[in-house]
Amino acid sequence: MKRTSNILVVAALAGGALLAACNTGEHHRKPGRIYMPDMYESRAYEFYNPRLATMKPVEGTVKRGELLPYHVKEGDTTLANTIKNPLTITEADVAEGKRLFNIYCGICHGTALDGNGPLYKGGDGPYPAAPANLAAGGPKSHYTQGRLFYVMTYGWNAMGSYASQLDRSQRWIIAAYIKSVQDGSKVPAPDAAPTAPAAGPAASGGDTATIKK
Amino acid sequence: MYRRVSIRLRKQLVSVLILCAGLVLSVSTTVQAADPAKGKALFQANCASCHNVHKQLTGPALKGVEDRWSDKKLLHQWIHNSSSVIASGDPYANALFKQFNQVMPAFPAFTDEDIDNILGYIAVEGARDPNAKAATPGAGGAAAEEGGDNSLLFGIITLVLAVVALILMQINSNLNKLAGDKEGVATPEPVPFYKNKAYIALGVIVLFMIGGYFTIQGAIGLGRQKDYMPEQPIHYSHKVHAGINQISCLYCHAGAEKSKHAMIPSENICMNCHKVINEYHGPDLFTAEGKKINGSAEIAKLYDYVGWDAEAKKYTKPGKPIEWTKIHNLPDHVYFNHSQHVVAGKQQCQTCHGNIQDMDEVHQFADLSMGWCINCHRTTKVQFADNKYYSIFEKFHQEVKDGKIDSVTVEMVGGTECQKCHY
Repeated sequence: MKRTSNILVVAALAGGALLAACNTGEHHRKPGRIYMPDMYESRAYEFYNPRLATMKPVEGTVKRGELLPYHVKEGDTTLANTIKNPLTITEADVAEGKRLFNIYCGICHGTALDGNGPLYKGGDGPYPAAPANLAAGGPKSHYTQGRLFYVMTYGWNAMGSYASQLDRSQRWIIAAYIKSVQDGSKVPAPDAAPTAPAAGPAASGGDTATIKK
Repeated sequence: MYRRVSIRLRKQLVSVLILCAGLVLSVSTTVQAADPAKGKALFQANCASCHNVHKQLTGPALKGVEDRWSDKKLLHQWIHNSSSVIASGDPYANALFKQFNQVMPAFPAFTDEDIDNILGYIAVEGARDPNAKAATPGAGGAAAEEGGDNSLLFGIITLVLAVVALILMQINSNLNKLAGDKEGVATPEPVPFYKNKAYIALGVIVLFMIGGYFTIQGAIGLGRQKDYMPEQPIHYSHKVHAGINQISCLYCHAGAEKSKHAMIPSENICMNCHKVINEYHGPDLFTAEGKKINGSAEIAKLYDYVGWDAEAKKYTKPGKPIEWTKIHNLPDHVYFNHSQHVVAGKQQCQTCHGNIQDMDEVHQFADLSMGWCINCHRTTKVQFADNKYYSIFEKFHQEVKDGKIDSVTVEMVGGTECQKCHY
């Protein structure tokens, strides 16, 4: 009787110490013990393999349900200005555009499109370059939806490409949203005949500066 | 007499002259003095997209720009129409054009006064130490973990009470013995407590329960990683990005809406901002061990991974993946889909991941156990009305209409079926 109780106590204490004590290390830096490791350490995919992790889809791949590829080359802003929005924009699309704009663009360009998002904060934020003011009457208000799409796809000046975060239809929806805010309309009018880029206010710049590539 | 007059006249003349000179000077200074406040507004509206006073962006850093141009007139002409200066063959202008490979847009609408105001602002701003503002607040390192855990207090109270109880029992037995002695009743010699069977049995049971508790807790914890906080290759602070700078989670983890995985963002997403943000000026960062982190050096690590040359402002070598350590790990026999929870379920990231925006180093907030999943599926309501997806649940629709139930949970539409997650 006494012996069994001793064994039970020792087993319980030792088991507890073994399982609980040295599990995750100081500051929880270790993941802890696992059983059946092959269920946790997946063999299905090797992470960060330099060959696999940096691979891009095969050239010309079109995702299911995705718009057809955009063929304007980087730097060809004249052609980009003339491309029309291939989507038929509804009010729901504009609302979705607003949501997407506030997530992906508003952080710099501001949710009011005034180029003063939380990252810039009138020059006090961490971002040193002033984001473009996209509001009505602003220097970019003459941009067509095609041009806005181009900028989101390839980036412009300090801005990077958003093609990896936003698929093509999302980018067109955002372009439509920006236009709808500038026009003050619920659904933006489809781009009229392409305005010559030089017709924009000269002081706003932008168009005169072409990247030579 | 004549001489006196002439001296007087001369004096007056001199004073008038001085006055005139003073006037002219004061007028000219009001014309010359640039207004940095006006200049700042103009600079931010027109120049700041491409220029920073201290940093090179799309265009050069403008600190000391007036000293770099030999002729102020030429600088004015450059701002009015830079192409004309390049065409004139000015060597400095051509060198700039070569370096940046880009023509600065013309600003013909600026008056000379406007340009002077801007240059005045640049001079004032340039004299200021850009790192000075980093010294403000920021000493929020030692935010002690407060409150919450009272178990230590309860433990001490229990121990004290146990000791008191023991003493009382001892006193009781002593008094009993004294009373027995007085009445002449012979009490047996007391057994010391370490030989007392009752005490031993009590001790054994207590020890067994403690040991068993830890054994069971440990066994349950096998394969669970709650609070796991690995060291990452770059000290990326979610608090700085998602908390202080208010970047939406989806900005980087764009896959959370579109796919099974939220995605570790690819490096080009980091470079969207870090192409130009190459220094850290926020509050001090510390690791869990208390080591101070140099934020700018961590950004430099990113540049090394992506192969970006911060001086030349271009990618100079092929990038390599940053080997982040995965924290939230579900075994292969569990199916979990982010987009399902974020888009259809409209769950906030914080529901499962905790207050990520307050974490410098991310740790696993939930234990990701099956019980934890199921509990949430039992209590969470689905959007049942006006949702074509659930139109086949006619019984529930009828019951909602009859007022028998007011809402439908995930469990009721099959959210706790084994095959939903294990197949």
